[in-house]
This record gives sequence, structure tokens and C-alpha cells, in this order.
Amino acid sequence: MKPAAVFTMWRKEMLEMVRDRRTLISMVVAPILAIPVLLGVVNFFTSSGQKQAEQEAMTVAVGGPLAMPGLEQALAAAGFKLTHAADPRAAVEQKKAAAAVVEARSEKGEPVVRLLVDASRQGSRVSADKLAVVLDGVKSRMVREALAGSGVPAGVLQPFSVERVDVAPRGKMAKTVMGGVIGYIVILLMFSGCMYPAIDMTAGEKERRTLEILLSSPAGRNEIVLGKILAASTASFLTALLNVLSLAYSFRSGLMGPEATRLLAVVKLDPKTVSLVLVAVAPTAITAAAVMITISLFAKSFKEGQSYLTPLIMLVVFPAIMGMLPGVEGDPRLMMLPVFNVSQLIKSIFNGEYTAASFLLPFASNLFYAGVAFFFAVRIFKREDVLFRS
Amino acid sequence: MRCAQTTTLRLLATVLRPTEGTAVVAGHDIVRDPALVRSKIGFLSGDMGLYGRLTPREILTFFGRLGGMRPAALKSRVAELIEMLGMQSYADTRADKLSTGMRQRAAIGRTIVHDPPVLILDEPSYGLDVPTARLIENFILEARNQGKCIVFSTHVMEEAEYLCDRIVVVHEGKVRATGTMDELRAATGKTRLREIFLDLLGFADLRKEATA
Repeated sequence: MKPAAVFTMWRKEMLEMVRDRRTLISMVVAPILAIPVLLGVVNFFTSSGQKQAEQEAMTVAVGGPLAMPGLEQALAAAGFKLTHAADPRAAVEQKKAAAAVVEARSEKGEPVVRLLVDASRQGSRVSADKLAVVLDGVKSRMVREALAGSGVPAGVLQPFSVERVDVAPRGKMAKTVMGGVIGYIVILLMFSGCMYPAIDMTAGEKERRTLEILLSSPAGRNEIVLGKILAASTASFLTALLNVLSLAYSFRSGLMGPEATRLLAVVKLDPKTVSLVLVAVAPTAITAAAVMITISLFAKSFKEGQSYLTPLIMLVVFPAIMGMLPGVEGDPRLMMLPVFNVSQLIKSIFNGEYTAASFLLPFASNLFYAGVAFFFAVRIFKREDVLFRS
Repeated sequence: MRCAQTTTLRLLATVLRPTEGTAVVAGHDIVRDPALVRSKIGFLSGDMGLYGRLTPREILTFFGRLGGMRPAALKSRVAELIEMLGMQSYADTRADKLSTGMRQRAAIGRTIVHDPPVLILDEPSYGLDVPTARLIENFILEARNQGKCIVFSTHVMEEAEYLCDRIVVVHEGKVRATGTMDELRAATGKTRLREIFLDLLGFADLRKEATA
């Protein structure tokens, strides 16, 4: 084994890679843009969706001027915009207003304020909730006024009050989801980042008839395949690196707007976190490279290689998505499941919830898988029936 | 596998391992010391086997490095080959942008960059036009004059007749005859290699039949 020959192979593969447009897109452009684009989309929909819902929720249809004293003023004070509609019910149905307030009389002749709600619409439900609160306020004020001077203490009206306390720690949900989504994107991009290089340096070399020449060169088979695996691992690792750096940059620059910045605020992005994530994904880069090289070695052409590896990417999606689900943490057996464990690990590093043990178990098992995948790639590369499949 | 010749040449180039038997190339056994054999050979096939995204200079440098050449010596060797093969104007252009003739020159340079004593050529002129094929013929003659041992396969009988000292006629995986042109002429009574070949394969001479 000559390290110089391995390095020469690696250098040649890297040179070919940076001159291939397909590889550049999957290795450089995609990881840099993926997270800003995702956050941009999230930002756009959450902020515009919220604004729209709020705006809609504040429009209330009424049949005409409300007769109940102080009701219109109370609604206006709460921020509601009253629109007059000949048919308030139709206005709600046609989404011209979120809800409608209609004054009526019960059978016994008592006054009734009827809220017309379309329960299938979130805006309408929100609106009705808010209207109920305002009407409650108006009702207690009227009772208070009626009781004033009768000698009944005001406390009778409200023997106790109800307080609702949210026990979920601030941002926990966002943490779980954001950490998971980011971990998942990093892993997926690492696999897709080394897919084209892996195919190109195996099936591609067969197709272009350069493999035969390479095999007759003074370089040994071990050196050739080692250089190739290292180059594909570099591609995979570079994808992760660019991805994480782009994430850190979008976060620090506030580039993605306030909504995304708020979501990301729960994710730690200091240099130590970023370096730990990169250490955590390194064995996975080697595994991805070695597995993809092994599989695409069986292909005779670039196209065939692509059709072998695309299902693999789909396969990677499953454990990665599983890692996004809340509540799967903690089972040590699951922490040895490849792909899944590293997406979990990235999540816990970003959240700052990792321990030495929770880092080492997945890291060590991934190192083991990398070794096995590496070993197989080298073995397969020495098989003539695979190299010269026809 | 394409045919027996290709397999044989691949075995000699240690690209394939023989299921049984062995051969000695430049004093090294192809089964026991394939690495030593590879350092002594230059292998070229009709496909040329050039990396399209690399330039001729990069390709030559890459294979020279694999051959363990020192950087300074390699640099001057590559420059020398570029001049010798007349590649100055396109030495730094990507190979996939070059014409067939240019690519063939680059492939020749790649084959001999580490100055191997043995050349193994698998139908090197296959599919080439006459001027480009002529390039290969010149290359073979020059290498022969330098004292290199050249093993090459071809289906072009004129090429073999013109270039070779010793000829082996192979048909359907079997050796039909071996010898110099003169020996083959004496054995068959024919003059041209094409006729000798057909005669060895048992084809009747159509012209003779027509006149008889």
C-alpha cells in the first residue's frame, strides 16, 4: 500500500468532481441553498398565513346597528371591524366575515346575542372565541351596573377565577422539530451529495472505458479503491460542512426573516456545536461513500448506477424521518441503528442535550458500520466478475 | 468479454487474473507479481480510455504519478511528450473537447509516460480513420526502434504484416500459426497475410477456384 498512490487517486477524483456540473449542484449548491430556502418557505407561510388569519378573524358581520347598549363600543375597543350585511349568515358562509353577531329574542322574549360561526374555518373559530370573551365582558359589566346600589358585594359575581398554565417548556416543540428537521436534511444531503461522484468514479469509469486503463496502471487495486472511497467521503462530508455553515450563516445574519430566526433561536449554533456535528457525521460520510461505491460498482453505466442508488436514497429517508418524530429518544438499541442514530445525534447536539454516552454510542456504532462498508467496497472492487460485468 | 485476444491482453496487463497457468512479462510473473508487471507495461486500447474532464497534461501527470515518478522528472517528461506528440496547442484543453486524432495522441502519451519497456496494445487503431491510424503505426514503429517489446492485436492484416516481427494467428480462441512473415509464407505458400490467414482457417482461395 503506497499512501502517495492513494493521494494521487483522491486528487484525480476530486479534480473530476469539481469539473462536473451535476456533482457541483448536489455537493455545493444544494447544501448551501437547502436550509435558507426551507426557512424562507416556512417564514413566508407562517407569517403570511398568520397575518391573513388574524385579519380575517377581526371582521364581523352585523345585520344593522346593534341595539344592545355599549356592545358596538366594546367590540370596536377589542379591535373588531364591524361590517353591515343584509344577510349576516351569508356573509360568514361566503367568507366575507369571520363570524356574525345577530341580536334576537328567545321564545320567552329574553334578549339573545347569536354568534354565527363556520367551525370548519380556523379564522372563524378564533373570531368566535374572541367575540365570546368580549360578550362575557359586556355581560358582567351590565350585571355589575344592575347590582350597583343593591348592596350585593361585587365578589358574588365571581366566586373564583380560572387560570390556565402551559406547562410545556418554552420552545420545546420547536426544538424537537427544528433539530430533527435539520438533522434529517444534513443526512439526506450527505447521501445525495456523494451519489453522483460515487457513480461517476465506478460505473462512469466502466462506461467511458477508463477503468481498464486504470487497472493496468502501476497503482494497486487497494490504492485505487481507497482513493475513490476517500474522494466520495470527501464529497459527502463537504456537503454536510457547507450545509451546516449555511445554516449557521442564515441564522446569524437574520437573513431568513423574523419567523425563521425565532424558530432557529432554540437551536445552538456556536462553533463548538458546529464542530461536534461535523465530527458526528464523519463516519456516516464514509459509510455513505463506501455503500454507494459498492452498489454502483455493479452498474455498467451511469444511468444504471443512478437507478440502483435512487432507491437507496429513498431508504435513507425512512430512518431519518423516524428521527424527526418526538418521543423516540432514549432507546439504546435504536441509537445503534444507522442513519437514524446520527440524525438523532445531530438533533441532540443542536439542542445541547447530548452527553458523552449519548454521543459515543452512535458515534462508535457508525464508525463500525463505516469500517464494514469500507471493507466490503474493497472486497467487491477486487472481483473481476463485478468490474467486467457484461 | 469481447474475444480471446482481448482476454489474453488483459491477462498480460494483469487487469484479469488467469484461472490457471501464468505468463512472464518483462521478467515478472503476472500471477505472483502483478504490481511489478504493471510498472513495466503501457496498456492502450482502441477506446483510448481518457478522462474527458481532464486535460492531456493532467492525464499524463496523473498516470506518471501512479507510476511513482518524482515531481520534477515527471514535469519535464510530460512537457517532452507534449512536444514530441505535437500537443502544445491543446495540452490544457479538456479531453472531451478534443478531436479523435488529438485524443489518440494524448492516449499514446498516457501509455508511455512512465517509459515502460513493454507495450500492450489492444486493437489500437480500431475505428480510426486512416491518418489517425497512421499515427498509431508511427508510434509502434518508433517504439520498436527504441527496443521496446510490443504485443498488439489487430483485425487489419496489412497492419500486422507491415509492423510485426512475429505474428500469431488466433481464431476462435486457438493459436493457428506462429512465426515471422517469411515462416508463415513458407508454411502456406501464400504471400499476403490476408491469404495466409484465410488459408490457415481453411477457407478455399476463391480466385484460384475461379480460374481453375
